[in-house]
Amino acid sequence: MEKVVSTRRVFLQKGLTLLAVAPTIPTFLDQTVMALNNPLDSKLTQQTSGKDGKILVVVQLSGGNDGLSTVIPYGDDVYYQQRNAISHPADKVLKIDGYLGLHPNLTSLKSMYDSGDLAIVQGVGYPNPNRSHFRSMDIWQSAQPEIQQPSTGWIGRYFDNTCPGCDPHVGVAIGETLPLAMQGEKVLPLSFERPDSYRYTGRDKTDYVKLNQAQLPPTITTPREITAGDQLDFLHRTAMDAQLSSEEILRLTRSHSSPQPYPANEFGNGLKTIAAMIAGGLPTRVYYVALSGFDTHAQQLNRHDALMKQLSDGLGAFWSDLKQQKNNDRVMLMTFSEFGRRVQSNASGGTDHGAAAPMFVMGSGIQQGIVSRHPSLNDLDQGDLKYVVDFRSVYASILQNWLNTPSKPILGDQYPVLPLVKSA
Amino acid sequence: MAVFHPLLAQYVPTESDPFDDVKAAHLLNRAGFGGTPDEVARVQKLGPKQAVEWLLDFPDAPAEEELGNNVSPDLSSIAGSPSDFRQYYRQLRDKTPQEKKQLQQQFQQANRQALEATTAWWLNRMAFGQYPLQEKLTFFWHGHFTTSAKDERAALLMWKQNELLRENSAGNFETFVRAISRDPAMLDYLNNNENRKAHPNENYARELMELFTLGIGNYTEDDIKQAARAFTGWGHDGTDFVYRVNQHDDGIKTFFNRSGNFDGDDIITLILQNPACPKFISGELFKYLAYDDIDPSLSEALGQLLYTNRYELRPLLRTVLTSRAFYSPQALGVQIKSPVQLVVGTIRMLGLQMPPAQALASALNQMGQLPLMPPNVRGWPGGRMWINTSTLFIRYNTGVWLAGGEVPALTRLNRKGDAAGALPDSLARPSGFDPNTDGDAEAVVDGWLNRLIQRPVGSDKKDVLVNVLADGVNTDSVRKVVQLIVSMPEYQLC
Repeated sequence: MEKVVSTRRVFLQKGLTLLAVAPTIPTFLDQTVMALNNPLDSKLTQQTSGKDGKILVVVQLSGGNDGLSTVIPYGDDVYYQQRNAISHPADKVLKIDGYLGLHPNLTSLKSMYDSGDLAIVQGVGYPNPNRSHFRSMDIWQSAQPEIQQPSTGWIGRYFDNTCPGCDPHVGVAIGETLPLAMQGEKVLPLSFERPDSYRYTGRDKTDYVKLNQAQLPPTITTPREITAGDQLDFLHRTAMDAQLSSEEILRLTRSHSSPQPYPANEFGNGLKTIAAMIAGGLPTRVYYVALSGFDTHAQQLNRHDALMKQLSDGLGAFWSDLKQQKNNDRVMLMTFSEFGRRVQSNASGGTDHGAAAPMFVMGSGIQQGIVSRHPSLNDLDQGDLKYVVDFRSVYASILQNWLNTPSKPILGDQYPVLPLVKSA
Repeated sequence: MAVFHPLLAQYVPTESDPFDDVKAAHLLNRAGFGGTPDEVARVQKLGPKQAVEWLLDFPDAPAEEELGNNVSPDLSSIAGSPSDFRQYYRQLRDKTPQEKKQLQQQFQQANRQALEATTAWWLNRMAFGQYPLQEKLTFFWHGHFTTSAKDERAALLMWKQNELLRENSAGNFETFVRAISRDPAMLDYLNNNENRKAHPNENYARELMELFTLGIGNYTEDDIKQAARAFTGWGHDGTDFVYRVNQHDDGIKTFFNRSGNFDGDDIITLILQNPACPKFISGELFKYLAYDDIDPSLSEALGQLLYTNRYELRPLLRTVLTSRAFYSPQALGVQIKSPVQLVVGTIRMLGLQMPPAQALASALNQMGQLPLMPPNVRGWPGGRMWINTSTLFIRYNTGVWLAGGEVPALTRLNRKGDAAGALPDSLARPSGFDPNTDGDAEAVVDGWLNRLIQRPVGSDKKDVLVNVLADGVNTDSVRKVVQLIVSMPEYQLC
């Protein structure tokens, strides 16, 4: 706890120092200072996630994960008729009931299911599904299908609504780019690929800091400068965030050790970094990590099998890490993909872009089981599964019952809440 | 030529709005990868119109047809490999399918090295080639008609495609679309090689419309299914395009409300007749060269310009690069440099030798833009998406490294999941670090800011830099200044 407090103190001190010298300071510092000066405000901001608050981990399966090869309706003959060469034989499937089973490589998820820590939401999608990777990914991440080029994401708006003054640690994405889902207007969450490259290596750190502080009063005010000024302001803010967070994250990830080795791939490394940050008590409420390669138009079987193994091994190691930390009851993890794939496989031993697909929700605080019915394999929409649950219902359930915040201001409408979280 | 929009009218320098070094540097940044002080001076002397003519003066031909060095990737250091792709291609070309397969499998071992050699060759052309605009456009089209070498795509095909992009970069867009639709790497990447009559594969048909020609919202899901049928049987044999007549669906297709026994070329013809196409393509080029936020009337005008020129790209490029819009406050200094722009520009502006290829690739990879490896078929997102807390460090650290500083921690996993090899700890030292002994600290700082940032910088920041030289202007202190300049937010823009 002490560490967290001292981090905040550093932020605050730097903020105040800046206030003394600069009229414009990074937004988050400005708001942090204001929030901490106003006790009423700071209660609303829910900043003390350090060792007690709830945490959400979002796992994005990029490329369109084949839901029918993930949660397999092995009890349905239509599955075998339509999937022919790329189906999984019933005796290999990890059976959940007489109809459904998990992909043979999802062993860790099966044991989480058996121990009461996994829920499966079936047939998740949205009306008039879009089959473009990018458009559908934007829809899932923004939760605003009505906006053609969305600029904020559902998690970003969650931050904007609940803690506009939070420091950027409130959201951490592992990866080169900050996903749209995490983009808001008032908070710019952190993102990085690997902790050990997350620092400035130049010799002259003092002057580097000065040159990257928010703009001092502009001395040149031609119209051109003002236009480029917006970009500069954005760059300054990001530079400040980067500099202030890098030391803390390096320290946490270096000191963490996990009970079970993580698979040596990008996804495993990402989960390991997240586990280290959770163990270190960062005030982060949402972590984001992706596993990609799911666009299996051809030769799907081997590729998808390998991806399922990566997913299962990664989540298995993460789960045992959280249990050892005794953080398993305050972390919820959800998976999603931009769409599932067409029911009928194609001639290349692969599958084309489809629609509805299942989501996993994991954690000791979740209500174990199968949520919603499996979509029919006969009653299709242009060859694709019809959705049973709107994805915004899943978001609403997480926002309301896990993150304890009203979902309507974030999602724009009230969606039915699913029984995903154990009642207290 | 008719003026389609006031913003596309030619920029004419005036006393109050001269073609100064800031504007000359802007042209070199956007129509190339940045200029040295000498080049900026040369362009300024040519004036905005002549400078664009000079930039546009390159042959519509692949690099291979040029004279001199560096016209094709050097494969000679790869064990067991032919010395270049042309030789390899010749070896393969006349073989039987079985022999071809065997030879390809042999070479597959070296595929990654060959890809790295191709990337290094291309970066070298960007930095030192004689046609900066051609390489800049080739890079644009690489992100547009995206093909990634992920999934162990054959280096030979990636190189062939790269040459195709270069040859057509400022040519005719119709010719270009027809050629790219037959390009083996593309047929491979978007699975059209597997698009067969019995089971159409929609991948190419979808991206052709969504990303390559029309933009989303200008076709229906059914148009995609029908177009996919028309492209059945278009494939490649490992080196060249083949049309497999028995895999082609010659039934009637209904596409854009017209019916006929269409093949892929008919679909392309129909797409090119759609007014959304010239608008989309010209808009994408404008955004790449000038700025993002195009209003509808400008977008309309750009589309008309391309369409009335029968999809010839040079007239469009000439108009955009000499336009008022191009030199407007909305365009100057607002672009966040792509990683390639940042790195190649730094090499050019510091007058460096080419750094070791692997180290450079590793840095670019971490910044999110390794040539030949776009993340997905949409290419690279660009703009503010280049910047987050992570990439900013990597951008700064790479700049510091190029300017003779510490080697950054670039220990990312490579494509195969192995840790990338250790980096060499010294680079060729940048030229020009020897301080100008005539100048005082302020003049030295001004000189470097002018060379690297190329537009006015706040006096407060200048003071910080001048202060670094307080204990004397010497090689070490000047290097420190240069490393700090490349670690400034201002250096991220062009």
